[in-house]
Amino acid sequence: MASVTYRNVTKRWGDVVAVKNLSIEIPDGEFLVFVGPSGCGKSTSLRMLAGLEEVTEGEILIGDRVVNNVAPKDRDIAMVFQSYALYPHMTVYDNMAFGLRLRRTPKQVIDERVREVAASLGIENLLDRRPRQLSGGQRQRVAVGRAIVREPAVFLLDEPLSNLDAKLRVEARAFISKLHQRLGTTFIYVTHDQVEAMTMGQRIAVLRAGELMQIDTPTNLYDHPANVFVAGFIGSPAMNFFDNSELKEVDGKMVVDTGLFQIPVPSTRIETYRPHLGKRVIFGIRPENIAHPDYQPANVEPAMVEANVDVVEEMGNEKIVYLEEGGKTFLARFDPRADVHVGERINVVLNLYNMQLFDQETEQALQ
Amino acid sequence: MATLAKPHAASRVGPLATRKHINSAAKYIALTLFTLTWLLPIFATLLTSVRTMDDITLHGFWSLPSKFAIENFRNAWVAARVRQYLLNSFIITIPSLLGMLFLASLSAYALARFKFRGNLLIYFMYVAGTMLPFQILLLPVFRLTNRLGLYDTYGALILIHIAFQLGFCTFVMRNFMRTVPGEILDAARVDGCGEFRIYWQIMLPLSLPSLAALATLEFTWVFNDFLWALILLQSDSLRPVTAGLATLQGQYVTDWPLITAGALLATLPTVFVFVFLQRYFIQGLTLGSGK
Repeated sequence: MASVTYRNVTKRWGDVVAVKNLSIEIPDGEFLVFVGPSGCGKSTSLRMLAGLEEVTEGEILIGDRVVNNVAPKDRDIAMVFQSYALYPHMTVYDNMAFGLRLRRTPKQVIDERVREVAASLGIENLLDRRPRQLSGGQRQRVAVGRAIVREPAVFLLDEPLSNLDAKLRVEARAFISKLHQRLGTTFIYVTHDQVEAMTMGQRIAVLRAGELMQIDTPTNLYDHPANVFVAGFIGSPAMNFFDNSELKEVDGKMVVDTGLFQIPVPSTRIETYRPHLGKRVIFGIRPENIAHPDYQPANVEPAMVEANVDVVEEMGNEKIVYLEEGGKTFLARFDPRADVHVGERINVVLNLYNMQLFDQETEQALQ
Repeated sequence: MATLAKPHAASRVGPLATRKHINSAAKYIALTLFTLTWLLPIFATLLTSVRTMDDITLHGFWSLPSKFAIENFRNAWVAARVRQYLLNSFIITIPSLLGMLFLASLSAYALARFKFRGNLLIYFMYVAGTMLPFQILLLPVFRLTNRLGLYDTYGALILIHIAFQLGFCTFVMRNFMRTVPGEILDAARVDGCGEFRIYWQIMLPLSLPSLAALATLEFTWVFNDFLWALILLQSDSLRPVTAGLATLQGQYVTDWPLITAGALLATLPTVFVFVFLQRYFIQGLTLGSGK
């Protein structure tokens, strides 16, 4: 059990900066997810913590101890790899016992622990097999088993679900969340999949090009993204953005003028946005906040606009509708009962309680 | 459309099938001829090894033996000292093999897995070393062993074999080791291995296919070496079987049945090793890992 601290950590490969001045404090027992597109430095951050990459600048602490120059084996961590990285020449039992044997754990203790962990993961009948005789899902469990048998202070997972098929992935997500609840150990999890991040993380660190964009709880990231990147990365389908809008006053009322529509700013936000009057802004609104007039949720501040229906995707539980207005396409999630047809011109309701405004220049959220 | 195509296709089946037959028959005949030509020396050796010298003088090499003289093998084994020569061959070959595989796998692991300045340069030097014609090394190595007091010892031969094959072994193993997924080694690192243990407990077992292949090849090469043994050894009691057999050749008269019997005995270990290790080699290739 230990906390983890990144203190101004930078990683450079020659001239390429992989991680830029990363500072994060992860309290003991937290499930933290690093998420971002490929090449954003999330895996590098994890591998530096594991001791598999050297830190160029800054410090990494596990508990109170600076581990920059500590060998991986002495960091009291365990890791699950994307390819599982099971030892192909060893049985499942030996794969799980390997780390314990290296620590000179008594044979009997090893046997007890391996069998106990195997039973808890439902792989006790596979102990004599070799990795190549296992299915993908089984290998994934063995990889997790090999890590938890060691009872590490910190548990690192590097895209452990990306080699599973869609159905298994959903199961494995719940399985890992439960595992975290049961063990109570610090989990640090790397993924490029925002759904995994949202469903599993207690906090999520969003990275782009080696820089920390925002770190917060899933709901805060979703409802209060700090910048355009986070707003667009979290949530699927992605948030709609209207570039080059203007925040101004018309007839004493504050509105966002996107060039296509004039949208009244909800009363709760007026004070927040007042200092930014006259600025060029990016207006953001999530597809689920654009509703069909017949099925609009209650207790919101709606704004009605008109648009053409371009494409309708039937999802069963909802309709994803591509709307078009003045050459600009934006997406809406409609109630499945909504009666929309391609080519129609319809009224849609923007629910503004969760609208976002970002500075056009800095792309940071207006606060 | 289908009705049109059918008769057309049917009319072509006949000649096509005949041509196929002729083709494969021609291939078989050619291959059989090649094989027979290839086997001819061995056949001659076999034939000679079971007849007497008198028989050869009377009827020549290419005739059926008038008498089956199996005692040639006993004579070769004891009187011609093939037993001692074979033993010497093993005393030289086995330490050479172990030495070159151990050292080559160590350097291959470093070259395959560590980033350091001069990595490629060292690798290229190994590769370049294998391209050196060993004839130009004969004299320098002879003088070196003399200077080191190693001349006319097993050690001289063992050392030169290890040194000379190291380049090729390192080249093969380095390229094999690069195919082992890096995450497996990282997993071992996190599990608590130091670098030597990773090499010994993870990398080496996973490199078994390449080790087995190299062991097979190198066994044949070292076991069949003639020239180095000729240059670096003087005492008859130290000679490996290749050089030993050569001494049986007289200046005026040569006992061909004895030499051929000895030669056949000398090939047995290589044949055995090859047959045995080749199976192992193919098994090893199916190692599965990762996804």
